[in-house]
Amino acid sequence: MIFEGKYYNGQSSKGMPAQIALLADGLRIDYCADEVCGSVHWELAGIHQSEFNDVTTLLRYGKFPQQSISVVDKGFKEALQQHYQGAAFLKSGYNSVLNWGFSGIAIMALSLLGLLVAFVIWGVPALADRVAMHFPQSYERQLGEQLYAKMLQGYQVNEEKTAALNEYLSELETDLDYPITAAVVTSDEVNAFAIPGGYVVVYEGILNKMEHHEELAALMGHELAHVQKRHSLRALTRSLSYYMLASVLFGDVSGVAAVLVDNASALRNLEYSRSLELEADREGLELLHRNELNPQGVILLMERLQRGSESEMLDFISTHPNTGERMKVLNEMIGEGEQPYKKNPELEWHWEKLRH
Amino acid sequence: MHGLCYFLQLFSTYFQAFMTTTLLEKEKQITHFSFTGKGTEYFAIEIVNLLLTVFTLGLYYPWAKAKSLQYLYRKTELAGTPFVFHGTGKEMFIGFIKGLGIFVVLYGILMYGVFSEDPGTFLITYGIFMLGLLMLMPLALHGMMRYRTSRSSWRGIHLGYRGELSDMYATYLVGFFLTILTLGIYGSWFVVKLRKQMIDNVRFGNVKLRYVGDGADLFLIHLKGFFFSIFTLGIYFFWYTKNLLYFYVNNIVVLQEDGTYSRLQCHVSGWEVLKLTVGNLLIVIFTLGLGIPLTTTRTMSLIMNNTVMSGHFDADALVQTEEAYDSATYESMTDMMDIGVI
Repeated sequence: MIFEGKYYNGQSSKGMPAQIALLADGLRIDYCADEVCGSVHWELAGIHQSEFNDVTTLLRYGKFPQQSISVVDKGFKEALQQHYQGAAFLKSGYNSVLNWGFSGIAIMALSLLGLLVAFVIWGVPALADRVAMHFPQSYERQLGEQLYAKMLQGYQVNEEKTAALNEYLSELETDLDYPITAAVVTSDEVNAFAIPGGYVVVYEGILNKMEHHEELAALMGHELAHVQKRHSLRALTRSLSYYMLASVLFGDVSGVAAVLVDNASALRNLEYSRSLELEADREGLELLHRNELNPQGVILLMERLQRGSESEMLDFISTHPNTGERMKVLNEMIGEGEQPYKKNPELEWHWEKLRH
Repeated sequence: MHGLCYFLQLFSTYFQAFMTTTLLEKEKQITHFSFTGKGTEYFAIEIVNLLLTVFTLGLYYPWAKAKSLQYLYRKTELAGTPFVFHGTGKEMFIGFIKGLGIFVVLYGILMYGVFSEDPGTFLITYGIFMLGLLMLMPLALHGMMRYRTSRSSWRGIHLGYRGELSDMYATYLVGFFLTILTLGIYGSWFVVKLRKQMIDNVRFGNVKLRYVGDGADLFLIHLKGFFFSIFTLGIYFFWYTKNLLYFYVNNIVVLQEDGTYSRLQCHVSGWEVLKLTVGNLLIVIFTLGLGIPLTTTRTMSLIMNNTVMSGHFDADALVQTEEAYDSATYESMTDMMDIGVI
């Protein structure tokens, strides 16, 4: 079979009209231009890989400076495939993908898009969780310190009550890996939240609702569990993971730190999953047991939160759903019958200071 | 200094005037560029690249890069003949590793300063880091020009770069500090000097390239672009981009050995830039970034199909002048720093 094409000898850009013959051991190219005629033989092994050809087939041969031929004829491509099936210069994984055609490529694209969406929906939160769990404690503490300072800027701290609360906490046996720093802020909101690294902010509103110090112990147990089990850090990394993803993708890593601090207020309304809340409840109860306090404190706290007027309660309830269900679980955990507990005069003394 | 500038300006005006007259004397001839790549094809290639890069934890990246360049070159034609990219994944891998090594060392020094928590140490390491980056830039530019040109051919004729590294350093460092001293105003002249350094040293067989742009023109384009973009609430931005494209492309002159020459001419309109940019943006957003290859082919199509070489260009008269090549050190380094100078 003979094909018409252009031959370039690697020395000049002049395309010489050529006749290309497909032989068993290679190509024979007979060219003629300006009365200069010649013939070259290309061995198959010397032909370079040829990909992405269209109507034009481009073949290159030998060492620098490479000779090349270009043939504008679809038949040439097919003839090469038939003649030299399996030859190295025709092999190309990419070309085989291109041969899938439009629908094949579209299917591949759609399945990839599906994978990407799945990654964004499930993969990113899972990764965020892992990051949070492997975050060094000293950095967590530093981060918490910044967030805490930022947080308190918007509030008035009640110094007396803050001191009393911290004394109360130091009397409690907490079994915590973090040093605790707590603050009471002046606000009627019924709310309390934990910040990574051992920081807790309690609103006066929630303190005013309480009647027994065991309720406070239960609340603290709950919030400190969020700290100890890194719930707050995990929720934070989760809620920021998409922003982080975008930042990393667009190369703006320095922005992440700024956003972390700027979003300190988001901590107030961080949502924990149901299982994390239950875990925190369990830990809160455990704290009461450890301090030999009345386990009913947890139930009292829950009841009080549930009974309170709707609007006031909204904040705490909205981030802590299913209070009824949680009470049920807690009641099961406490179990039937009287449980031994002691009065703790030290704690009560600090509690009294907190109330006034 | 001022006198020299004036002389250079006068010279370039004279040079340009001289060129226009010779151009008018002879018959104008148009040689077309074109881009025949298809979005779906390039998309499929890039998807395969992406998958292989992810599964090899990034190690495949240089091979992926080589493959996508091979495709884009193969689909870019001048006078109906495609370009060929000869670079290989292996070469680019070596460059990638070397570039990575330098970055690891520089960032290592910086991190040492950050974690020492001593302000003095931090400042010193930060200084070394910035200085290192500054010194790396000319090296990376020089390397990129050498690598890219030596690996590009058309009709078997290779491009080449004859620039000296020392000249690149001189141009770059002088321009850099003058730009800082003049609070950025010199930046336009700096960019033009850099382009001259890079383009004037390119050989295309026995053909030479010249960049004849003028810093003052670029400065005016920026000035106009900045204020008009503000006044028109950003709409002028697309025309600003078009002007920059014209400035970068249309000032390239292709000189043949016999003294005849041709000029690159790009005819993209501001309106087309607008359609391209908005379309690309929508593609990226609605495909969650997967459609980026489509934006590349769209951009290539618009620019290449609207660019011609006007004047005298004898497509058959190029003669091979390059020697066999080696070393791929720098390609990926510039790529990692992602500076769009060309």
